[in-house]
Amino acid sequence: MNGTRHGSATIEFPSEREVLVTRQFDAPAELVFDVLTKPEHVRVWFGAKELEVCEIDLRVNGKYHFVGFVMDGDTATCSFRGTYLEIERPVRLVGTWVFDGKPDAEAMETVELHEEDGVTTMTDRLTFRDQASRDSMTWAAADGVHADQGGQVAWDRLENYLATLA
Amino acid sequence: MARASTTSDVFNAVADVHRREILDALITGEKPVGTIVNDLSMSQPQVSKHLRVLSEVGLVSCRAEGRHRLYRLEPAHLQPMHAWLAKYERALNDRLDRMDDYLQDLQRRERMR
Repeated sequence: MNGTRHGSATIEFPSEREVLVTRQFDAPAELVFDVLTKPEHVRVWFGAKELEVCEIDLRVNGKYHFVGFVMDGDTATCSFRGTYLEIERPVRLVGTWVFDGKPDAEAMETVELHEEDGVTTMTDRLTFRDQASRDSMTWAAADGVHADQGGQVAWDRLENYLATLA
Repeated sequence: MARASTTSDVFNAVADVHRREILDALITGEKPVGTIVNDLSMSQPQVSKHLRVLSEVGLVSCRAEGRHRLYRLEPAHLQPMHAWLAKYERALNDRLDRMDDYLQDLQRRERMR
């Protein structure tokens, strides 16, 4: 069973300020929720290696902080933090989300889980203050989070362009 | 990875909303400058300036036909963006795949108890 859904995440850009990721897991929503919110779990899977810091205070207005090598090949650790705003196990989790390398690009993150026939669909929506913040963040993510500030990526209608590549 | 700060970079070329609009206008086919000017309600000098930038990075090419200069999209030169997006998708998928494997392992261990 392992690996059958690998590589199946979809990424959408529903508006100029948002990134929406959707992924299914063969697991009940309760377990998915716990794996997203319990430090003993997050520590294991979040980074390319086990996280150095994984603090989670799962309460409204409680904070989380993750530090580690996020991607394979990273040469520096990355730090993410935020504050939980809504907690509704196992269907919904809302909080702020900020990458310490780009503190100005704080986003609101809404994770929703929907279980059907033992399969849980997770949607993870990041809403940035404006398009520049979102683009600087997605840019950084793709560049191993060490990108310069100069680049601003045009997501608008990118799909149209990509479709013409074939 | 540092980006070129000038117009030598496809990413910078498409970072401008007007240049993206020009590329969009060319998706449907080759067009003379005048048509792009009309379609986008930009001034002719503005469109020409943006077309020059897009030409420099190879995203558009130009040929003369009679008195007109026709511009066309060269989508193959968007390849760096495509590669970049693929990298982003891969990084994201890697994390979610790790989470997936972890969930499966947890459930397997639970079943064996």
